[in-house]
Amino acid sequence: MITIKSLSHDFVIGKKGRQTIIPVLRDISFTVEKGEIVTIVGRSGSGKSTLLNLVSGFIHPKEGEIWISGEKVSDLNETKFADFRINNLGFIFQSFQLIPSMTAFQNVELPLILKGINEKERKVQTEQMLQKVGLLEYQDHYPGELSGGQQQRVSIARALIVNPPIILADEPTGSLDSETEEELLKFIKELNRDLGITFLIITHDDKVANIGNRKIELKDGRIAEEVLV
Amino acid sequence: MKLRDQFRFVRQNMKKNRTRVFMTILATAMGCAFLIVLASVGFGLQKSVVKEITERRVITQIDVHGKETKEQGMFRPLNDKDIQIFEELKDVKSVTRRKMLQQEGTYSIGKYQEGTPTFVTNFPAEIKAGFELSEGTFPKSKYEVAVGYNFLTNLADKDAGEDLYDEKGQVKAEYLYKGKLRGKEIKLTIRQFKAGKQIEKTIPLKVVGISTKPTKEWAQDSSVFISDEMLTEIERFTGTPKGYMLDANTNKVPDDLEVNKNAYDDVKIYAKNMESVQRISDQLKEKNYATYSVVNELKEVNMVFMIAKAGLIFIGTIAILIASIGIYNTMTMAVTERAPDIGIMKAIGASPKTIKRIFLLESSYIGLIGALIGTVVSYGISYTVNFAIPLIIKQAFGQETDLNLIFSDIPPILPIICIVICYSVTIISGLRPAQRATKVDVLKAMRREV
Ligand SMILES: Nc1ncnc2c1ncn2[C@@H]1O[C@H](COP(=O)(O)OP(=O)(O)O)[C@@H](O)[C@H]1O
Ligand SMILES: [Mg+2]
Repeated sequence: MITIKSLSHDFVIGKKGRQTIIPVLRDISFTVEKGEIVTIVGRSGSGKSTLLNLVSGFIHPKEGEIWISGEKVSDLNETKFADFRINNLGFIFQSFQLIPSMTAFQNVELPLILKGINEKERKVQTEQMLQKVGLLEYQDHYPGELSGGQQQRVSIARALIVNPPIILADEPTGSLDSETEEELLKFIKELNRDLGITFLIITHDDKVANIGNRKIELKDGRIAEEVLV
Repeated sequence: MKLRDQFRFVRQNMKKNRTRVFMTILATAMGCAFLIVLASVGFGLQKSVVKEITERRVITQIDVHGKETKEQGMFRPLNDKDIQIFEELKDVKSVTRRKMLQQEGTYSIGKYQEGTPTFVTNFPAEIKAGFELSEGTFPKSKYEVAVGYNFLTNLADKDAGEDLYDEKGQVKAEYLYKGKLRGKEIKLTIRQFKAGKQIEKTIPLKVVGISTKPTKEWAQDSSVFISDEMLTEIERFTGTPKGYMLDANTNKVPDDLEVNKNAYDDVKIYAKNMESVQRISDQLKEKNYATYSVVNELKEVNMVFMIAKAGLIFIGTIAILIASIGIYNTMTMAVTERAPDIGIMKAIGASPKTIKRIFLLESSYIGLIGALIGTVVSYGISYTVNFAIPLIIKQAFGQETDLNLIFSDIPPILPIICIVICYSVTIISGLRPAQRATKVDVLKAMRREV
């Protein structure tokens, strides 16, 4: 489902003439099969987020290839990647990334609007999805009026609404207390089991790391270890 | 993303900063109203002038002054051959031709007298051109004459002296001849110098017809129409062509008058309709005739106003350009404020094109609303100006303005021009902010670093 071949990346910082190159990822190769939950662990600064941002297309790799669902996404331009993203990828972020001026309903509806679905259809699907994450009665609340756990559920609903085969998550439990973390992990497992959604999850939390089928450890930008859980 | 949703998006976004959006729309509306009102003065004055021109003369009338001779710049008067050529042109209704007595004949009934131009004309042609009698018949014999309607309003007591005219320059009613004119004998006095002495001849004539009262003031006509034979008799007395009155000192008839003894002094072509005036004029010009018609005049007037209006619209456009700076500012701020949202939208799959379109839509929305409000306001201003300026002038100078004067006129094309200009300007000024919106970095935006 996701194949990464000899991926390397580095950042260039500083002004012209006094630039420093910060190597982040070196020769990363791995595969995530359909229906798997793969977690990526590693210490802070080991390049986990950079790896996920490359897979998400938020940054462009310096070297190597990224294939998702048979498409070589590392070659796509910004517009094409946007199209690809809305049809294939769902995102869960540590800080939820909800639009504060939109209600829960509007945030969940947004991907459908971008896809050009008509209003009636959108209402049905959005309400269904809010029901599924248990927030139907909160649909008119703005993100600021919801708890962290509720916000994360809104963001999951937004990710799920376009039925993506893959969900990418960067520290999804990072802002949650342990109780809501449990709930979220349970929900992820359910989605994986019932809908066959593939997950690529970044975490530095052991509890999260162990919900997957496999665990990949990054160290100084390289794969240090890959273990089956 | 559907257009409807884009619109809703834009409206939602605009609501987030109502005051700023309102001020921007206000500036745009002011720019548009300025443009329209300014240009409307050009349109209004043009309309007044054109109206004035077309009302001041018969619009199907073409005056032909002469034909250019082989010598460049020299013109000769027209003769029967020319008339025949004119009559054969397509869409010519009539060709009137008049010979003019080359001195002012003095006409009198008893103590009432009047000096007025005297013509020999071709009545069938005049009738076809619209000449009508209010009473009587057209002259048939040597001593019969027809007179223009205003002959009556000028026939006055010769002894009145200074007191004859009122303050408007018209003959006072008390001095006017009040009797019947038709069938009356009227005496024509003509003069000539012979051997340095002025001699006179008085010819008794009979008025048989009076033309209908002209509807327009400018069409006043007090001419007397005499017969061809009468002109011959007058010529016999004066010894000069067309009764030319010699200069007491030189005793000489001008050469061109001598050569063109039988030429006409006043030739007018009447076209069947307004549309054919231009074509007939062109044909005549090709044949080297010097012509003048309302078309010539309108052409020049329209040309001048065209330039004036273009200038006014250009000045108005500057106002819109200034307003567009506001739009640019508003949009730039909107992009900056919304960068985090833009980042999130991009992250979940909004394409740069969609983002750009939303922002362009927002700026053109501001522009269009501004233009529409500006248009409505300018109609109001235009109406007020047309209503108020004559009153102000009356107040300030104590005199009535010419009622025909239109100060401001907004033809439908003007708002259209304004909206097109305004729309283009807003699109251009919204382009860079919109472009910037597409460049928002997803990661920076999500870290709230923009
Ligand atoms: N935009 C960037 N510019 C420069 N350096 C960056 C940027 N993003 C990340 N880095 C650097 O890359 C390394 C890896 O960062 P990151 O992928 O966020 O690690 P992790 O998510 O594992 O904590 C860090 O040393 C970080 O300083
Ligand atoms: Mg990270």
